[in-house]
Amino acid sequence: MRSIWAVATNTIKQALRMKVALIFVLLLVVLLPVMALSTTGDYTLKGRLQTFVSYGLSLTSLLLCLLAIIVSIYTVTSEIEQRQIYTVITKPIRRFQFLLGKLLGVMLLNTGLLILFSAAIYTIAVYTPRFTKAADSELIEAENEFFTARNALAPPEVDVSTEVFEAIQKLQKSGDIEQIYAGMSPKEIVAQLTNLRKLAKRSADVGHELIWEFENVRPRDPNGSLFVRFKYQVSVTPPDSQVYSRWLVGDYRQYKYGMQGGVPMYPVQRKDPVREFREFEVPAVVAAEDGYLAVLFFNDPLNITSVIFPLEDGLEVLYKADTFTANFIRAVLLILFRLIFLACLGTLASTFLSFPVAILLCLALFSTASVSGFVIESFDYLSESLTAVYSYSLKWLIRLLPQFDKFNPSTYLVPGRLLSWSLVARVLVFMVCIKALLLLVFALIIFSFREIARIVV
Amino acid sequence: MEYAVETFSLTKIFSDWWGRAKVYAVDDLNLQVQRNEVFGLLGPNGSGKTTALKMLLGLLHPTKGKAICLGGDATDPKISARIGFLPEESYLYRYLTARETLDFYGRLFGLDRQVRKMRIEALLDMVGLKAVANRPVGTFSKGMARRIGLAQALINDPDLLILDEPTTGLDPIGTRQIKDLVLKLAKRGKTVLLCSHLLADVEDVCDRIAILYGGKIQAKGQVKDLLQQTHKRQITTDAISDSAVEKIKQIVRLENAECVVSSPMHKLETFFIDTVVAAQRQAQRTSGAVSTTKIGDFLTRETVSENILDKLVSTPLSQGPPAERAPTEKVVPAETAEPKPDERLLGKLAEPAQPQPVVADAKPGTKPVETSVPEQKLVKKDVLDELAGRSQPKTEDPGQTDKPYAGDSGDA
Repeated sequence: MRSIWAVATNTIKQALRMKVALIFVLLLVVLLPVMALSTTGDYTLKGRLQTFVSYGLSLTSLLLCLLAIIVSIYTVTSEIEQRQIYTVITKPIRRFQFLLGKLLGVMLLNTGLLILFSAAIYTIAVYTPRFTKAADSELIEAENEFFTARNALAPPEVDVSTEVFEAIQKLQKSGDIEQIYAGMSPKEIVAQLTNLRKLAKRSADVGHELIWEFENVRPRDPNGSLFVRFKYQVSVTPPDSQVYSRWLVGDYRQYKYGMQGGVPMYPVQRKDPVREFREFEVPAVVAAEDGYLAVLFFNDPLNITSVIFPLEDGLEVLYKADTFTANFIRAVLLILFRLIFLACLGTLASTFLSFPVAILLCLALFSTASVSGFVIESFDYLSESLTAVYSYSLKWLIRLLPQFDKFNPSTYLVPGRLLSWSLVARVLVFMVCIKALLLLVFALIIFSFREIARIVV
Repeated sequence: MEYAVETFSLTKIFSDWWGRAKVYAVDDLNLQVQRNEVFGLLGPNGSGKTTALKMLLGLLHPTKGKAICLGGDATDPKISARIGFLPEESYLYRYLTARETLDFYGRLFGLDRQVRKMRIEALLDMVGLKAVANRPVGTFSKGMARRIGLAQALINDPDLLILDEPTTGLDPIGTRQIKDLVLKLAKRGKTVLLCSHLLADVEDVCDRIAILYGGKIQAKGQVKDLLQQTHKRQITTDAISDSAVEKIKQIVRLENAECVVSSPMHKLETFFIDTVVAAQRQAQRTSGAVSTTKIGDFLTRETVSENILDKLVSTPLSQGPPAERAPTEKVVPAETAEPKPDERLLGKLAEPAQPQPVVADAKPGTKPVETSVPEQKLVKKDVLDELAGRSQPKTEDPGQTDKPYAGDSGDA
């Protein structure tokens, strides 16, 4: 343990004194304050905060990721290249201890810098409202939609498979299917029909209503607020692009089953533009004690169009589930996991590759991981023609890559969404405990058996 | 009997990309280095000396064969804790200062802070870099870097010292110092394996040598046996008169032999050192390494080694009468500044005021990998001499002294 620590501290000294880390630190020290002053977003306080935190964290994450890759590779390859390792590895230290020491050093350095800079971002974000002359409404908006960690509930999925099945059978019987869906594979036809049926369930004609029922609505503060967030799609755009609506939020069962004594449903009347996210606030007490909540939407007869709530994010119920601080810490943890993975990856690459090659490989993998969603989707799409080869080889390799884009902290912090501990734990298990550990084990095995000395005759 | 270093048909073949054998760097090398011996591995450039050392230390894997250091694998921490290694060039961390460098290596050995500190100061003093101890080693000249490399190899007070071209880049004083050091260590029962192509160095210090060419041993044996010209005799006298020389020549002629008479030359080395020492006495300033002929305090006396013999040989600072204590010429300034724990240790070592016969019976070394019988006799003789010389009056703590001694002589 002592020798691991000796190697670790030496690694940190190396990174700092060889000015590798210093460049990154300088960049951040300069860029963060500049960002804090220059970002404006959409000229509201909330927009400004969102832009700053999003860009600040992304920049910190990007630079520290690069630093993790570069330092972890540099520190091992330079020792082998410049042969300081001859005098180190012949001391009473096992090879795995040497490598672990290197990794520990890199991680300590990265963790330290991450804590430093995320603390700076946090402080700047928290103090921004005090130093800007924002209107009260903007302060409230920032408080409700940014300095919070809101849980978002989407309406439960509607099962339309039987309807789709029947519709297809009907089409096949009548023989229309060939004409209507010419040139489409059965899979695509099913997908299209499913989409249509689902949208139908989320559209309301003029004078009609829609009802969504939610479970597990448990706001942190029962005297606080719930938020309903929505976006309209319309079949005919109204002249003023506005949709008139009436809403009822609360325990619908008391009307449905004639129960007595509950909190009455909360009525809301609104006029909102189409195709834009809007949200309104209702008191949290309207949610039933067992976590039940219903949202009724009534398409006002003043309208001339039927209203559709898009599938992905047409309607959500939001409520504050945790504080901004806790959410921010979890977001930083996600970045830390990334760094651990990349440090392990760099260590592995450095055990058998020279510096430039290892850097190239790691950067390629890093950028692939950063757009992994796209990569996986496109490969899945392409793979239909080469299923067997793909699904047994490449697919698993791609799955081995971590999905940095999927677990991007900004996607949670910018809209003030709850980043739950369970998600953090899942990322920890998959990205660190499985993938990073696997890389580390490979690195240790390779390093333990390789020849350290260069071949000189 | 167990050797300090032993190789069994050690072979290293470097193959090309296709796996075809290309070069036999080391070919079927069988080497035995006895304990407490200074062994020189000689050979021209590219004869496989360094490759052999690297296989010994586990930096390269042998294609065939096996190498054993101190009775085990050199990559085993228990073994490598007792080895000091100086590679063919000093590969140092350029961003660390001299002191930090040594501290780092000391920590790799798991040495305590105080032991580390004491040894680092002693070593810096010995290699003459105390004045530049806080300068990054990246700014050092080759010779200065070499000195740090040497200090690094000695920080654990190794039982086996492996030196690869120890004198390259060093000035004559440094070279001389290394030679002195090697001899001192050998006297203390350590083993030194050095490889070099500077023949003069090897000749001065080595007990046995092996000459390597093309990865194979071409000759090996005692230096004396190999070099002595048995068909010639040399007589050295004080400056005698010409008439006396004539007489000697006549006697030689009677034996039917030829005789050449001349005044012996000083070795250039001796002359050089004398000159520099004289300059130093006039306190000339230098920005380089301060050349000293000191040898690290703990290397010659202080004993953290497990070996009870080493402990006995060493002298406690607090107790030994100074006249007897100092081995010979070197008085090291660091000695008075030694920290407390070491004094404690030394006190423990100050041990037995045993009557001589008891000591004579004792056979040291319950430690599994310690020295084997013949060398022990050699060393023990020294011990006995030293004990007889100075340990008689020291019986302050008889209860304490008996115990560890009895324990260590268990297999007598």
